[in-house]
Amino acid sequence: MMTTKNGSWKTRYILFLLLLPVVALILSLCIGRYVVSVSDVFGSILSRFDESIDVPKLAYITVWNVRLPRILLAFLVGSALSCSGLMFQSLFQNPLATPDTLGVAGGSSFGAVLALLLGFTLIPLQLLSFGFGCLAVFLTIMAAKGKESSMSTIVLSGIIMGSLFSALVSLVKFTADQEQQLPSITYWLMGSLQSATYSSLLIGFIPISISILVLFLLRWRLNLLLLSEEESCSSGVNMKRLRKIAILCATVATASSISMCGQVGWVGLIVPHMCRMMFGNDHRHLIPACISFGGTFLILVDTLARSMSAAELPISILTAMIGAPFFIFLMRKKGGWSL
Amino acid sequence: MKLEIRDASFAYKSGKELYKNVNFSIESGEMISILGPNGAGKTTLLRAAMGLLNWKSGGSYLDGENVADMLPAKLWSKIAYVPQNHGRAGSYTVLQSVLFGMTNQIGMFSVPKEKEIRLAEETLEKLNIQHLKDRKCNEISGGELQMVMIARALASHAGILVLDEPESNLDFKNQMIVLDTLSKLSSEGVGVLFNTHYPEHALRRSTKAILIDHETVKFGPTTEIINEKNIESAFGVKAYIGQFETEHNMIANVIPVGLTSKDATKSEEAEDTDVLATLSIICGQFEESERINAILHEFNDILFGRMGMPHRKRNLYLISVNLDGSRKRIEELAHQLSLIPQVSCKVTYAKEEIL
Repeated sequence: MMTTKNGSWKTRYILFLLLLPVVALILSLCIGRYVVSVSDVFGSILSRFDESIDVPKLAYITVWNVRLPRILLAFLVGSALSCSGLMFQSLFQNPLATPDTLGVAGGSSFGAVLALLLGFTLIPLQLLSFGFGCLAVFLTIMAAKGKESSMSTIVLSGIIMGSLFSALVSLVKFTADQEQQLPSITYWLMGSLQSATYSSLLIGFIPISISILVLFLLRWRLNLLLLSEEESCSSGVNMKRLRKIAILCATVATASSISMCGQVGWVGLIVPHMCRMMFGNDHRHLIPACISFGGTFLILVDTLARSMSAAELPISILTAMIGAPFFIFLMRKKGGWSL
Repeated sequence: MKLEIRDASFAYKSGKELYKNVNFSIESGEMISILGPNGAGKTTLLRAAMGLLNWKSGGSYLDGENVADMLPAKLWSKIAYVPQNHGRAGSYTVLQSVLFGMTNQIGMFSVPKEKEIRLAEETLEKLNIQHLKDRKCNEISGGELQMVMIARALASHAGILVLDEPESNLDFKNQMIVLDTLSKLSSEGVGVLFNTHYPEHALRRSTKAILIDHETVKFGPTTEIINEKNIESAFGVKAYIGQFETEHNMIANVIPVGLTSKDATKSEEAEDTDVLATLSIICGQFEESERINAILHEFNDILFGRMGMPHRKRNLYLISVNLDGSRKRIEELAHQLSLIPQVSCKVTYAKEEIL
């Protein structure tokens, strides 16, 4: 696949990755229980900048106030989770690694659930959740720092930290008021993009975009993560620092995502695998591919989640139901991939 | 460039000492082999010498600077390491794999540009493996992969190449290709330090040798280090070092004949009496005769007559040298000459009766 790295291949690759989310965006702006025509979608978007364009008020509100923030959130979260899943798979040279490997999801969930218990919503909830996500990873790394620390001790310590925090989540659920708090906690834990607003988006956008940008800039060096310790060491690159930066970026991206929309499973596992099957293991191609595919995948899944039935489906159910068959199809066709 | 290991000792984390008083050095253009039985710590010695493991005492010095205090980026721009059985991870292509060797020269936030790609391709051409460029590393043969790993090391422009058993698990031909490449690089001025399981490879290729004999690490000219007594002591194997005659050279060969029984008393070293010998050399270009002269100069003490004659028709040099000295010295001289590519040389010893 990577053999013909000539100009035309590169142009087509970049165009494809850029157009994919744009097409998904337009499609998703149209689809919903209230169908907006493509011309109305373009009209609504343009009328923001040019007053003379006349569009139905309902279409305008649907596009700008209801769908667009939600779609942007889906794109942001999809990209963030895919990139951080990719990072953890490469860091631990383990195809089973997910954004949650170091316990960040457990921590973030506990933070959010705690906020709900204390009666916080929106921004305070988002901040508390983000803080606890980072705290969980910090504790994981501290716990793994022993006499003989290796990447597998970190993974093990991550699993333990994850279960510790999920136990804490259960404790909060147990003490929560069954009439109001418990349903809202349970619903939040299933993950939903419904609460998207421009202000919450902005808070999540800054850390996520910085993390992804750093990973994108480091894209060539990240390839060294897959080499053996001896090989990567003798390249002269400070691998400890590179790993720290990668873990930090992946953690910040995941914690920000979860703080905005709860746990969205599967994206961080499936999308990096799909990208590897298509583009190989070169992070120069993988990072842009994960941003584009991850974002597009979540936009499409969320569109289905909100338009398939009268009541909105929790998004994690759909990511698994759509992701798994597609993944199996690709795996059978491409024969999986090797690290 | 010179890598020097001074008064070093190494101990595992458990406290068990592996060896002490390690002293050796490698300079540009030298080819040094490390021999030792399984578990003697050959790889450990390499890794500690490069600072990948810490010495318990003493240290490694690169051009006088302690390796432990050097920045990784600086250290690894001067030394390149080819570990054993690696390079298949990630199923990268050969070109990508070679480019990894240059990561140090590429900015932190940058990717390889045309200049780096051209350099990598030139390195592949130099090693005659340019046809593998777009193949995946996990789909090429072991011999090819070893050459790719050497190309990666060369791409970093390091002055000293350290290889962990570069010819293990390879067939005859590929062993030859890898060893010939290393000999060529060394004659071009790269310092080559490598581990090997084959005493004859060490004998045939290296100027100096390191033998790990239990707790002591012996270092010296190859013919002095790799002798029957040292092999028996380090490996517990009775072996004979014989001369195998080819059309061009006498090639040293090590033939193991049996295990040393534990209670066998160690045979005493035969007294080294002086013998008379003549050495005939045929060589090609002028530069080679220069190198030969330099080597002969080192052996002035046993040399008592020489004759050099150019053969203009074929542009060759024929040199004949008369020697009187210990067998050990004569063997060492012949060995050093035989390491130069394109040189044929043979020693004829006088019969003991006439002395």
